[in-house]
Amino acid sequence: MSNYRYWLGGAFVLAALALIPTSGSAYTTTLLFTMLISYTLAQSWDWVGGEAGYINLAHFAFYGIGAYAFCLSLLNGIPIALCFVIAVVVTSIVALVVSFPLFRLRGDYFAFATLAILPLTELLAFNFDFTGGADGVVLPPKYVLFEAYYLAIGLVGLTAIATVWLIRTRFGYALKAIRNDEEAAEICGIRIFPAKSGVLIMSAGFASLAGALQGWQLSYIDPTTVFGLDVALIPIAMALLGGSGLLWGAVVGVIILSLFNQLLIVSLPILQTAIFGLLLLLIGRYMPGGLLRSGIIRNNRWIGFLGREHDRFVKATAGVTMTDGLPLPKQSDMKGQPVLECRNLTMAFGGNVAVDNISLTINAGEIVGLVGTNGSGKTTLFNCISKVFEQKSGDIIFLGQNLAGARRDDASKLGIGRTFQIPQPFSDLTVAENIAMPLMYRGAVSASLPDALGLATQFAEYVGLTDHLSARADSLNLQQKKALELARALACRPRLLLVDEVASGLTPMEVRNFVNHIRELRDNYGITIIWVEHIFSALAQVVDRVIVMEQGSIIADGPLDDVVRDERVLRTYLGSAAPEAV
Amino acid sequence: MKYTIGLFALGTAALAATSLITPAHATVGSCTEPVTFGTTISSTGRYSTLADKWRNMTIEFAKMINENGGVNLKGCGKKLPLKIIIYDDQSVPSTAVSLFERMATVDKVDFFVGPDWSAMGFPVPPVAEKHKIPMVMANVAAPPIFKRGLKYMWGTPMPTVPNWSTRYFDMMSKQTPRPKTIYFITQDNPVTKALTGFWSKKAASLGYKVLGNELFSVELKDFTSLVLKLRIRKPDIIYISSFDSPSVPLIQQMRRLKTKAKDVHHALLSGKLHKQVGNDLEGVTGEIPWYPGVKGPYSDFTEELVKRANVDMFEYPWTMSRISAYLIMVQAVERAGTVDREKVRAALFKGTFDSPTGQIEFNENGYAHKNGAFTLQVQNGKPVIVWPPEIATGKFVYPSPSWQ
Amino acid sequence: MDASIIIQIALGGILLGGLYAMVAFGLSLIYGVARILNFAHGTLLAVGGVAASAIFTATAWNPLLIMALLVPVLGLFGYVFYDKLLQPLTKRSHFEYTVGSVLVTVGALLILSDVAAWIAGPAPRNIPLRFEAMEFGDVIVSTTQAWILGGIIVFTIVLHFYIKKSWFGRAMRAVTQDHTGATICGVQADRVHALTFAFGSGIVAIAAVLYTMLFPVDPYMGFSLTVKAFTIIILGGIGNLVGALIAGIFLGLAEGFTSFFWATQWAPAISIVLLLVILVIFPQGFGWRKSK
Repeated sequence: MSNYRYWLGGAFVLAALALIPTSGSAYTTTLLFTMLISYTLAQSWDWVGGEAGYINLAHFAFYGIGAYAFCLSLLNGIPIALCFVIAVVVTSIVALVVSFPLFRLRGDYFAFATLAILPLTELLAFNFDFTGGADGVVLPPKYVLFEAYYLAIGLVGLTAIATVWLIRTRFGYALKAIRNDEEAAEICGIRIFPAKSGVLIMSAGFASLAGALQGWQLSYIDPTTVFGLDVALIPIAMALLGGSGLLWGAVVGVIILSLFNQLLIVSLPILQTAIFGLLLLLIGRYMPGGLLRSGIIRNNRWIGFLGREHDRFVKATAGVTMTDGLPLPKQSDMKGQPVLECRNLTMAFGGNVAVDNISLTINAGEIVGLVGTNGSGKTTLFNCISKVFEQKSGDIIFLGQNLAGARRDDASKLGIGRTFQIPQPFSDLTVAENIAMPLMYRGAVSASLPDALGLATQFAEYVGLTDHLSARADSLNLQQKKALELARALACRPRLLLVDEVASGLTPMEVRNFVNHIRELRDNYGITIIWVEHIFSALAQVVDRVIVMEQGSIIADGPLDDVVRDERVLRTYLGSAAPEAV
Repeated sequence: MKYTIGLFALGTAALAATSLITPAHATVGSCTEPVTFGTTISSTGRYSTLADKWRNMTIEFAKMINENGGVNLKGCGKKLPLKIIIYDDQSVPSTAVSLFERMATVDKVDFFVGPDWSAMGFPVPPVAEKHKIPMVMANVAAPPIFKRGLKYMWGTPMPTVPNWSTRYFDMMSKQTPRPKTIYFITQDNPVTKALTGFWSKKAASLGYKVLGNELFSVELKDFTSLVLKLRIRKPDIIYISSFDSPSVPLIQQMRRLKTKAKDVHHALLSGKLHKQVGNDLEGVTGEIPWYPGVKGPYSDFTEELVKRANVDMFEYPWTMSRISAYLIMVQAVERAGTVDREKVRAALFKGTFDSPTGQIEFNENGYAHKNGAFTLQVQNGKPVIVWPPEIATGKFVYPSPSWQ
Repeated sequence: MDASIIIQIALGGILLGGLYAMVAFGLSLIYGVARILNFAHGTLLAVGGVAASAIFTATAWNPLLIMALLVPVLGLFGYVFYDKLLQPLTKRSHFEYTVGSVLVTVGALLILSDVAAWIAGPAPRNIPLRFEAMEFGDVIVSTTQAWILGGIIVFTIVLHFYIKKSWFGRAMRAVTQDHTGATICGVQADRVHALTFAFGSGIVAIAAVLYTMLFPVDPYMGFSLTVKAFTIIILGGIGNLVGALIAGIFLGLAEGFTSFFWATQWAPAISIVLLLVILVIFPQGFGWRKSK
């Protein structure tokens, strides 16, 4: 373990910072104070931006709300320690409230909407009486630079610890999953809204403390100072310039931009801002992943470590093998009893009925093939069962539980695993991390991150991805991605596995391999399987029965041999060519 | 190992960069080195629209003082040159604070002049207090700034809220028919709000009926609703308390929608407003702290200064506050006779100083509480000083014909 | 309540809203094809406005002539800006494209405003051109306003049909809807992107001149215009000009009536509150946009 070096290094840096006020000038102290505040802002922004992938342009509003809450409390004679608490609580509540409308939006729309929040908070601060309006909030003119500075060191320490904590915990991984694919994250058993709202609140809380400290040090705040659009983008630019999503990104971005800006201010009478902007522009143009992701840094012997991605900081627990084969729980033998029942299930998009009044029962230990032409409703049926869509009417009963109104992560936790027809891996995570994700999120049996990564090796081995464990998922080819899909679905430790066209495009050899996997999963681990596939020869090797769908309805259900002789199946499934051929 | 060395390298680089922007120190208070003032100016950023010419003006000021030999120090028995260190605070208060810390500890300036604006007038003085450096601020007009009990801080704001419109209301009281009603329109800004807050009460006590008091945000562009309210209430006087840029559409839309009043008063009138609204400003009254041609102490000096610095006093009326701050600091140092901060502080305390606007007198809070303004009216496209009568360059036209 | 008052307020709101929509048009088209958060958009407009005002002060030309001069200049600027700074980023990963474009546009914002303030001074300026007012009973319409409003409406319609019918417009829409698909169908996506950037920046020049005729501009005001424009785009739909015009007018009217019936100081807040409320009800925008 090399953890102690980080703690030692961190403690060393903070101790060195703590000595500055006694050894350096007050100017150095203010400069460093500004940098500490900027770091807190940039890093806490990056938890939402870099980790969860939501560009939150309202981050500065939390800073301002914290400053206001703190200064107003202090003015009303509340003890100062409590004022900081109030700042965090008030800001967290605001963050919680706004997270409801904001997280209905995805991608750039989220960014647009958050952009509008800053001017709104500025106007509210102007217009309310209790905020003092344009007059701002005036604190007693105490010189508190050194007190504020020491507190800022503490805050930065906390921010750094929180960042490291995010790297090493499943909460952090939930955010990484959300950044990549929210649907797949839910399928892995992650409840996404609490995670998103949680990280927003966490980030808002830290920003509010930064605001409180800054307000305290300035002894005065007014709406334009703490909510002004003109400075709001700078902390974000700092995080992005250093390298968003990297441990050292915000640190490096803040140091470089703060010092550069100060250097420009004290040495140039004109055009400082333009030159500052030019630096941002050039970094954006030539090192768009951030300074630390550039080759110059990464290939450097001495400072290359600054550019390490998160996965390099976590180590898998070695030798967690519990069983031969896959680390899947032995499932109680309930052979022959129904696992899944669909009753009069209907799903429609607008007027287009994709699943039309379907009823079916799948028994424990069965391998069922689900076939039908393109657009016959197979994938929609899967999506309903795994709760990607909420059905329009009808019931889905899984192991005796009605899934009406259940979320995707509920379905996953109950034991429904699935693969996607078009693989949806978490692209910027490694194969091991992809597989580890659901292992950390299965309720009572969830594993810690190192354990999950250890277990993931076994799943990877099972699907033949051992050599690619530390490869990024987006560097895999299609077949490997499909294998990863299967491994991730298995890692959900499902009782019912929904397999969506995994075999298409595989060589006969690979298909045989895959069929063996399917059989083994049932025989050794008692997993019930529904398999959507076009390749009949593959199905023929393993399925107990076949369900045929056409235009949203089931047109045949029975052993494969019977079904292929069914007139309707031949006519519709094999197309009009079939009868002519007879 | 690599990690430790890397961290060390990073730390060293950061320290090196810090020292790069931390030059060698000067010594305080000798008889050989120049008298040093330190100031920040909002040359860029949101406040720069009012301040962009001051850097040049400040350099010219020091040059002109030095052309006359410099600052006369009895204690040294000679004149010492004046040096002013100027930084751009980029209109950001925390930047201003760190720059004043820099001037106190790194540049080791003797005295502070400036900064401007309430946003900086609150956070900066505690720095001066901490380092015991007297400072004379310029455009910091929000009255609460002077009620915080700080002992090293003075300010020469123009407008001084309780005096700003005194002459205007004096003039209006002597007009026939006497105006009876007034409507206040205020930009949402601490200074303009303080003006309205003071003068709406005062107007009521002077016998005016206050028909309305409307606050608007700088963001507001469409004033139709506000102007319609004016049309409905029909006030005699429309008192606009706003800086020049936000009220450009207001004045234009008042004209478009044929607003009528006996007098329209734009309390913070400037040439920039005039440039933008042109003829629409005809007949509007305003106020200005000083204008070339008004004689007083240092008026020749100031006229020469603004000419050299290419500052049009009608366009940049707030320049007067800056110049006054500089003049007062020079006078205070000369009165103290030495570059001793405590002696200068004593000279500033409740002191009275010369300025082209007349005598500037500080109260015990460091507030230049007597600064007033001259009333002017735009006549035939030119600003004409109409009140007080002893210095007026033209006659007040009332009721204003263009607003009928 | 007097009907003339309602009409008068509505006129003011429509005019302001139309102007905001003009500000949003260019951004809407650019966002549609390039999918970047162009933080420099409003600043380009502000700087264009400053330039227009400076030209007017120096030459007293007709604003239409100034427009004719500025459109190609800003258009060329947009083309080069995209081609040299943003286009190379499209070759990178999605993450790098997003981060890089944010840094580039924020950098451009700072450079544009600072250089403009340095050259032309930071003081607010406008095009002080005034026409006579027309009176219809108690309702007064200034000829400037009428011209500008008429211009905006005609411009929106022409632009709308241009985008609907012309080859370039169709290519632009194709790329907006489906990048890969359009490329397969033989549209040179890179070229369409750059041309759209040029086209959008050209529209910015027109909007800048119109804006400067009514309101003061200064080099530092740009970012708040960007925020306004993004608000309108969300409501009106990406690449949907008529939607943007309706959204702009809707917000303009809301501000006008808030100011009259409630308090002037709350007027600018209402559009943001409306935006958030509408987003809660329709997360997909205001409904002009087809749900995906």
